[in-house]
Amino acid sequence: MKDSITPAAPMAHHATPSGEIYPDAVNLEPVRAAHRALHETRETITADGNTAAAIATLQMWRCVLFAGFPITPSTKWIETVAAHVAQQVGGKKRVKLMEAEHAVADYLVGSAAACRDLIFPTATSSVGLDHMTETTRSLGASGLGNVLLIDVYRATANFPLCIEGDPSDTLAHRDDGFIQIACRGKQQIYDTVLQSPCLGMNHEIMTPVMPGYYGIKDSHRNARLTVEPDREIHEFQDRWIKPCPFPGLINGDTAFGNCVTSRHFQGFKISQKQRMDRVLDVLPQIGADFERQFGRPGLAFFDSTGFASDGSADLTVLTLGPDFGTFEFIREGYAKKTGLKVAGVAMRLLTPFPREAVRKRLERSKVVMVVNQAHHQGRGHLTLDVADALADVTNPPRIVSVFAGLGGADVSEATWEQMLDHGRGALEGRALPPWAFFHEGKAL
Amino acid sequence: MKTPVQVADLQETIRASVLEVRGDGKAGGGLVLAFQSLASLMLRDAEMHVQEWPFFSSARRGANIRSFLRISRRPVEAACEVTRPRMAVLMDEGAARSVDFAQGVPPGGTFVLNTRHTPEECAKHYRLSGRVVTVPGDDIGTKHLKAPIGNVALYIAAARAIGGFGIEQMTDSFLMTLKKRRIPSAILDRNRAALLASAEAVREGVFDEAGPDDHPATPWSGYGELPVGAQTALRLSQSNRTADYAPSGFRLRFEDPATACTGCAHCITNCPEGIIRFVPDAERGLLVTGVDVNTFCKLCGECIAVCPEKLFKELPFEDRWEEVLAS
Repeated sequence: MKDSITPAAPMAHHATPSGEIYPDAVNLEPVRAAHRALHETRETITADGNTAAAIATLQMWRCVLFAGFPITPSTKWIETVAAHVAQQVGGKKRVKLMEAEHAVADYLVGSAAACRDLIFPTATSSVGLDHMTETTRSLGASGLGNVLLIDVYRATANFPLCIEGDPSDTLAHRDDGFIQIACRGKQQIYDTVLQSPCLGMNHEIMTPVMPGYYGIKDSHRNARLTVEPDREIHEFQDRWIKPCPFPGLINGDTAFGNCVTSRHFQGFKISQKQRMDRVLDVLPQIGADFERQFGRPGLAFFDSTGFASDGSADLTVLTLGPDFGTFEFIREGYAKKTGLKVAGVAMRLLTPFPREAVRKRLERSKVVMVVNQAHHQGRGHLTLDVADALADVTNPPRIVSVFAGLGGADVSEATWEQMLDHGRGALEGRALPPWAFFHEGKAL
Repeated sequence: MKTPVQVADLQETIRASVLEVRGDGKAGGGLVLAFQSLASLMLRDAEMHVQEWPFFSSARRGANIRSFLRISRRPVEAACEVTRPRMAVLMDEGAARSVDFAQGVPPGGTFVLNTRHTPEECAKHYRLSGRVVTVPGDDIGTKHLKAPIGNVALYIAAARAIGGFGIEQMTDSFLMTLKKRRIPSAILDRNRAALLASAEAVREGVFDEAGPDDHPATPWSGYGELPVGAQTALRLSQSNRTADYAPSGFRLRFEDPATACTGCAHCITNCPEGIIRFVPDAERGLLVTGVDVNTFCKLCGECIAVCPEKLFKELPFEDRWEEVLAS
């Protein structure tokens, strides 16, 4: 990056309460000019989820350093990025293969703090994310919204080992302080990665983003993908990403290395929570702007299907991930067979959990069946969030909690039908257990 | 009198609903690339919707793997595995020792096999009813690509079975996939030759060899008794598909005609599957007598590497079909 990032001498700087700002330390214009477009026009290609995420990061002019450490099923992200970077003769982007995930997270901190106006992406999975934890817990609170940590969901460090996708890794990191967005399908992965920095780098939010998608089920599934021209992506992102108001070099401006007393710790946490809450206002605006520009749905709290015009439903399924597609495939047939109004919600925003929006969407359902796909000692991560969202509703829907697809287990049509039959039991007033497991069309 | 088998029109299936395809093979054998290439070929049609993905778990080279493909003129919503495919593909006959590649295929389905055997021999051996398409992919790979890689030929055979594309489109699409991987032009030329040779070598016929009880989509019977956590017994389980990892065509052999085994036990302690057989021996402490190669051997080569007397060898092995031997 010698040609692009030139230290000014002598370096001008001035003090702020957070540290000193060096406004000329990183000259962004040469960085922007050095970007080589991956796509000049809108194109349709075949891609799997990892490739879709890699292309999106490569198309951003603000992404110049790609740090990573391979771990299944996210490895192809760094492989794809590295292959493209190696192909770009004279290109200025660089790949930094680190010696472990913890090193990757530390590298992200250093580089993101030094260059607040650039975006620093990586991808990991499962125990890789766990290895990063010491740093990600600080990173989430650091104000470094220019970090983009793509989590390719994989059953986390439970025993036995499993390399396939369930969201237990991302759900185990709900309190790391990242904005967590779940995707399903190639297009949603690509579109979400493009929009994520707009959210994280918003001046009122300044919080890193962790977009994620299911390992194998989405990371390795090929389908059609529409990619946008780099020029239009830059136009969209530049509307949202403004010069960062905080110091651009590491000099104590982040929480790293700082120690505060109890008098101040709580204050920092309140401020962090307030920044996170702003996501609920800003995310829909970014999503709407994305849809205006590209003609596809942008960021949203959730996808929903099957609700009556007045928002009512007899039986509503709430889950996340690609298995929702199989539910959509059988939904109409099941509704016709049973004479019920069957609706569905696939969560997109996991953290902060959009409790108000979820309450409004679900409050006119008679039964809400939450399908959890991650190991949990209680009724399920999502179930607890939904229960919280519906806590203030007069005559709330009855909540039914089920588990399926742990460790990426297949969730077949027969399994969905069996789960829906189980949920129907609540409509008929039957007593149901606090949770139930389903697989291959059977209750276990 | 048995009703003649009616072969399903795959193009009509694609138009009216979804063509579901399942493939079985072994890790490192090229099944995933073959299915990815089929997906890319189908997406050349702007109105086609495709979904393709593999199932390979933590498999290492030689383990059984699967690939799935859905093709439709409508958006594909279902994301679950394909359990009742209209078309089943067998990349590696060794994989069929562990799984029934035709499981759940309804009568009149299409079966595509990478094999030296004829469609008729395959129909009889695997008890298939429907359209059987064969191609000697490993031989074509050996001749043109200098390695017994059957995926180029299998791609052509499967694409021909699905229909809708000419050989030129099939060839272009496959080579385009390789070009994206920056394969050198000399190797592209070899692949082109293999693709064209494959088109010449595809054979097919319609047969009705399946009985009413063959290839049922058997219901899942539960997890059974699982050990606490994940102990060795689970790792050795055939149902967990970690067994039978040996690459096709090779098998471990233990031979000790002169009783040269020293009883050092290195093979026993290094075998990850615990399949070395031995007996107590007063002089040596123990005497290795053999190895259970049929079920669990992955041909990892640990025993070959550590035996000081070189009593273990990896030797070529070929399944002999009884009906072929009889003929």
